[in-house]
Amino acid sequence: MRNLFTFLFRHHVFFLFLLLELTALAMLIQSHDYHASRFASSSHAWAGNVLENYQNSADYLSLRKVNTLLAEENTALKNLIQQNSEEEQSHLEGNYQYISAKVIKNSYNKRNNYLTINKGALHGLENGMGVCVDKGVVGIVRDVSENYATVMSLLNNNTVISTRFAKSNHFGDLRWDGHSHEYAQLYSIEKYVDVSVGDSLITNSYSSVFPEGLFLGTVNRFERDEQANFYDIEVDLAVDFSNIDYVYIVKNQLRGERQLIESKQGE
Amino acid sequence: MNKFIQHIIRFVFLVLLQVLILNNIQFSGYINPFVYILFILLLPPKLPKALLLVLAFTMGLTMDMFSDSLGVHTAASVLIAYIRPGVLGMITTKGGEELETIGIKQLRFTRFFTYAAILTFIHHFTLFYIEAFRISEFLATFSRAFISSICSLLLILIIESLRSNSLRK
Repeated sequence: MRNLFTFLFRHHVFFLFLLLELTALAMLIQSHDYHASRFASSSHAWAGNVLENYQNSADYLSLRKVNTLLAEENTALKNLIQQNSEEEQSHLEGNYQYISAKVIKNSYNKRNNYLTINKGALHGLENGMGVCVDKGVVGIVRDVSENYATVMSLLNNNTVISTRFAKSNHFGDLRWDGHSHEYAQLYSIEKYVDVSVGDSLITNSYSSVFPEGLFLGTVNRFERDEQANFYDIEVDLAVDFSNIDYVYIVKNQLRGERQLIESKQGE
Repeated sequence: MNKFIQHIIRFVFLVLLQVLILNNIQFSGYINPFVYILFILLLPPKLPKALLLVLAFTMGLTMDMFSDSLGVHTAASVLIAYIRPGVLGMITTKGGEELETIGIKQLRFTRFFTYAAILTFIHHFTLFYIEAFRISEFLATFSRAFISSICSLLLILIIESLRSNSLRK
């Protein structure tokens, strides 16, 4: 027993090293688990505070740009109201509620990018809600604290968005390969599908995160290997990730009900 | 005690510099310099190795909190803290035991450059490869890590020479 202690003490630096590295790796592995809430994240109150204060002072520099964007969006929304009053609204659309939030931190040059926003559990946010801007999809809510939340950007190794062609019902998975923040890759489109450059991609109704029909981007380039069963498609993203100030969080009122019935299928 | 406060100020300064300025500068989307490791590089050589590891862990964890990278910075920081005594042993005769502090002034430029370069490269390559987590992106990750390492190294040398110059006066 004494020998064991002497041994441990002699190599205590190495064991401490192992312990700390294992802690770091455990955090990392846990981060691949989508639903686990995480220990160290910028949605923590004090990290969120520092970032928000900084963003507030930086905001003055971009007021002009934000004003223009808001005005454009206003016009688009007004048009939408007009259209809606003319058409009959479908039953499903009423189940989505939108919450607006301000982005206080954003990145797009890492392999795994996250945004931090200034709304949290107090405003009704929950893990797994969709986040979008008027141009298209931004990502999915990840960690939520009382006043802040982090959003797993579309530009992230772990983000997969279920998507389909606007012109047909063929669907695939949109992922990001880590190269350019302007392009993402579309997978699982079988080779018999008719694809052409410029085709629009929208969210489909298979996931309960986003309402159907949110714009994602257009086909920029595609390749079909003779041996492969699937296309390689590069998608020009609708959202400019280097320039996001305000976002909307999509709250699906019937999500719980839908997940409940879908989980019964799995059993 | 005075030294102790100096290290705390350096810690806060480097965290703020990294989080508020460098993390927001997006050079061409490829380059991502990390100068916060200067804190680990400049810790005194006489510090117990266990304490060195704990301090590097704290620094890495702080970085992970601000950049939502979960353990990526922590793993890389703890690794360079662990191999730091070995690297110091390579570039100095007695493993740096005779030095009170580490800096350009104490080590001279060539030795400090070698010391900083080895640790920066190891840190960045560990960091970028853990972050990518895929062999299929080997080359892209390699070039990102390489270019970022050079940028960080330049910034570290600039900050360090400014610091040691201001100390001399």
